[in-house]
Amino acid sequence: MGRFLARVAVAVIALGLAVWSPVTAQTARLSLPDVPNPRVIEASDVGRFGGTFVTTSISDPRTFNPIVAQETSSSTPLAYLFESLVETNRFTGEIEPNLAESWTVSQDGRTWRFKLRRGVQWYDGRPVTADDLIFTLDAAFTEGVQSSLPDVWTVAGKKIGYRKIDDLTVEFRTDQPFGPFLRSVGGLQPVPKHRLESTLRRGAADFNRSWGINTNPRELVGNGPFVMHAYVPGQRILYTRNAKYWKVDKRGQRLPYLARIVIEIVPNVETARLKFHARDIDMYAARPREYAELLRRQQAENFTIFDGPPTFGTEFLIFNQNPAGVRPPKLTWFQNVKFRQAVAHGIDRDAIVRQVYAGRATPAWGPVSPANRFFFNPNVRKYPYDLARAETLLREAGFTRGADGALRDAAGNVVEFVIATNSGNTDREAIGNLIRQDLAKLGMRVTFAPEAFNTLVGKLTGTFNWEAIVLGLTGGLEPHNGQNVWRSNGSLHMWWPRQERPATDWEAEIDRLFDQAATTIDQNKRRQLYNRWQEIVAEQVPVIYTATQLTQPAFRNTLANFSAAPLAFYDLETLYYRTPYR
Amino acid sequence: MLRHVLRRLLSLIPMLFGITLISFLIIQLSPGDYLAEMRLNPIVSPQTLEQMRANFGLDQPLHIQYLRWLWNALRLDFGYSFAFQVPVMWLISSRLFNTLLLNVVALAVAWAIAVPLGIHAARRQYSWSDNTLSFAAYFSISTPVFFSGLFLMYWAYKTGWLPIGGMTSIEYEFLPWWGRVLDVARHMVIPVLVLGVFSVAGLMRQMRANLLEVLRQDYVRTARSKGLAESVVINRHAVRNAINPLITIFGFELGGLLGGSAILEITMSWPGLGKLIADAVLQKDLYVVMASLVIGSVTLVAGNLIADILLAYSDPRIRYD
Repeated sequence: MGRFLARVAVAVIALGLAVWSPVTAQTARLSLPDVPNPRVIEASDVGRFGGTFVTTSISDPRTFNPIVAQETSSSTPLAYLFESLVETNRFTGEIEPNLAESWTVSQDGRTWRFKLRRGVQWYDGRPVTADDLIFTLDAAFTEGVQSSLPDVWTVAGKKIGYRKIDDLTVEFRTDQPFGPFLRSVGGLQPVPKHRLESTLRRGAADFNRSWGINTNPRELVGNGPFVMHAYVPGQRILYTRNAKYWKVDKRGQRLPYLARIVIEIVPNVETARLKFHARDIDMYAARPREYAELLRRQQAENFTIFDGPPTFGTEFLIFNQNPAGVRPPKLTWFQNVKFRQAVAHGIDRDAIVRQVYAGRATPAWGPVSPANRFFFNPNVRKYPYDLARAETLLREAGFTRGADGALRDAAGNVVEFVIATNSGNTDREAIGNLIRQDLAKLGMRVTFAPEAFNTLVGKLTGTFNWEAIVLGLTGGLEPHNGQNVWRSNGSLHMWWPRQERPATDWEAEIDRLFDQAATTIDQNKRRQLYNRWQEIVAEQVPVIYTATQLTQPAFRNTLANFSAAPLAFYDLETLYYRTPYR
Repeated sequence: MLRHVLRRLLSLIPMLFGITLISFLIIQLSPGDYLAEMRLNPIVSPQTLEQMRANFGLDQPLHIQYLRWLWNALRLDFGYSFAFQVPVMWLISSRLFNTLLLNVVALAVAWAIAVPLGIHAARRQYSWSDNTLSFAAYFSISTPVFFSGLFLMYWAYKTGWLPIGGMTSIEYEFLPWWGRVLDVARHMVIPVLVLGVFSVAGLMRQMRANLLEVLRQDYVRTARSKGLAESVVINRHAVRNAINPLITIFGFELGGLLGGSAILEITMSWPGLGKLIADAVLQKDLYVVMASLVIGSVTLVAGNLIADILLAYSDPRIRYD
């Protein structure tokens, strides 16, 4: 205990600011017979109990094992069953206690202790303990277990250390202070040791297949708000309320309000929309171009469509700067920052916003979405549509336009290249076409050639044989999770992956910034480091960002306690039906 | 007869070997693999990707991968799906019944309508009803399945009379057995209509043409001239001879029972094999694709074999030995 001199009892580290959140303040007053300190979920209304919430997914889950789950079609259905140590507040982005009731960090920033909430039970009545937590980590780190969690739980190439202190306390140690610790390790969702231990003992291959989609749902023992009742392949997943749940509303009533949840599996977004209009489903995540029409229909069909926040994902144009993939003169153009800046000025982002997203997007200038309120840096160099400026930049870089209108470099080579994208993604195809037209105005001869997704990924990560690509990446709150893209040795450092040493000074500086931000605990200092990173990216434009889409969720008016918060549209626990329905 | 059947079954072995080898090579040689999507996930490290490749056996040389698959397949073990981590056979059997149900009902409906209509049209060639039927047939043959499916789904949405796609409703789990049967039947109306009507047109035209051909034969004139009732002439003499080519078509349709409705299944969210296999092909979920190819080839061959046997029964002139 003496080692934890600077330990603050029941400290809530929210983005580095040690604050008492109102959640912790309230918990002292409310309790349940079995859970002395239940988590209180704040919501605008105290709800009614009962009702079925119906939502959709466009693909079947691939596994019910949260350790092996890799993509959202599996992790979303599992989010109703398993809970993480800490949670991110969907409005503020702050980190709040969840399964872990409190935590402390040592002064050197290397030792973390999490205390689990007392009285939390698995569905079968066993308590959730430190042993489950340790087992979950052991399983994820077992050689051969197909999990990407260790990638998140590895700091500077070394896996984090962990040990049990008592039944409800676990201590973590990292070699160096780890800035994103709370978000990455706090996202850990314990699985029940007593249910999965014997499978893990039979080996990694067996564990990877345990709790597959052929498992009887009753064997899936979690601690979340709902229990899986049935999974019908290709049709739906049914959930019923967990009567032993450990969260309460502000009056101390045990949550969740809803009696049942159904995820209808539909083949495509169009069917989901039709079902929404037919009142078969309660929520529809509309696409940008549908916003206006849904807005007109909301009165008559008794739903509300929200002017939602931006997504976390990015869409961009990128040039290949890898000598293993392209040769001069193209390599020389693509490596020339003035060439890239000219292209950035030559793209009419407003046209993209208007024509591709029907106005439901904002021009993008950097790798962090404005949805990420904490890490987004608005003060970076911007590239408004300006052909004169673009032409000046090209002249400065030695390019000239001949009488035939074609752009030539100093050696007289005509500037022509191919932009690829993954075919089938209509938004990206439209963006690519607009970019091609825009660049033609600068005299560049651009061919736009969509390709199969698999082929494109093969080129991007394997053969490096491409010139320019229009692509998008999903994003999240924590910039550190993008290190595979931004560090010069990263395998997704798309314009020149896996460099032995950084090719340019600015790439070297980004490497240093990511290293520093990873080992800094003070979140405000980390923000400054990542601000600098965004400035460099905007200055050097290795990635030319186009636009950030907005979200526009539509909800039946029979439902309440939802709102278009930046991180999620509702807390499942507090969603409820205003009127008895279904 | 038995020898013929045996010979046909034996010839299946080299054929399956050829089909699987070629498709295995084509799938493996085309660019990309199952892990492509994961490679674009910034959080997943190259080490994890290598680990997964090794788990799936994708790091082995091609011939080893194929021989391993073949050896297991001979023992009816079709391996595990990369995407779902469950046995391929479980995955397929979880959808097999739904596809069979839809196709068998649609097939029965189509034949029950098409054969009488074809006979009717042939007996009243160029009459008002024949011309109407012909027009309807051309119209439905030239309407793609996905279009008529979407159109009827939109109609169902507008009127609210029928469910919009799917096979069961949300309450299904909580219904008594007869409620469940009714529920599935309601959901089947549109897909059966689309699939059934689609093949009615072709079959009806075929039946009409065959019967017209037969009605010109001398033995029909003989039968008529010796004063047999017209119904006996048509049903006993003409139709039995005219139906032979249809039996061959029936064999092909049996072969298509599992894969023939893929497009409709995808447009109408019917939880059958269609979407499963289409997704597997797109994602390069190798063993699911391989198993579905094997099943597809076996059913096609079996369907043709059944048709040949039926032909031998229906037409005493056909002998295989």
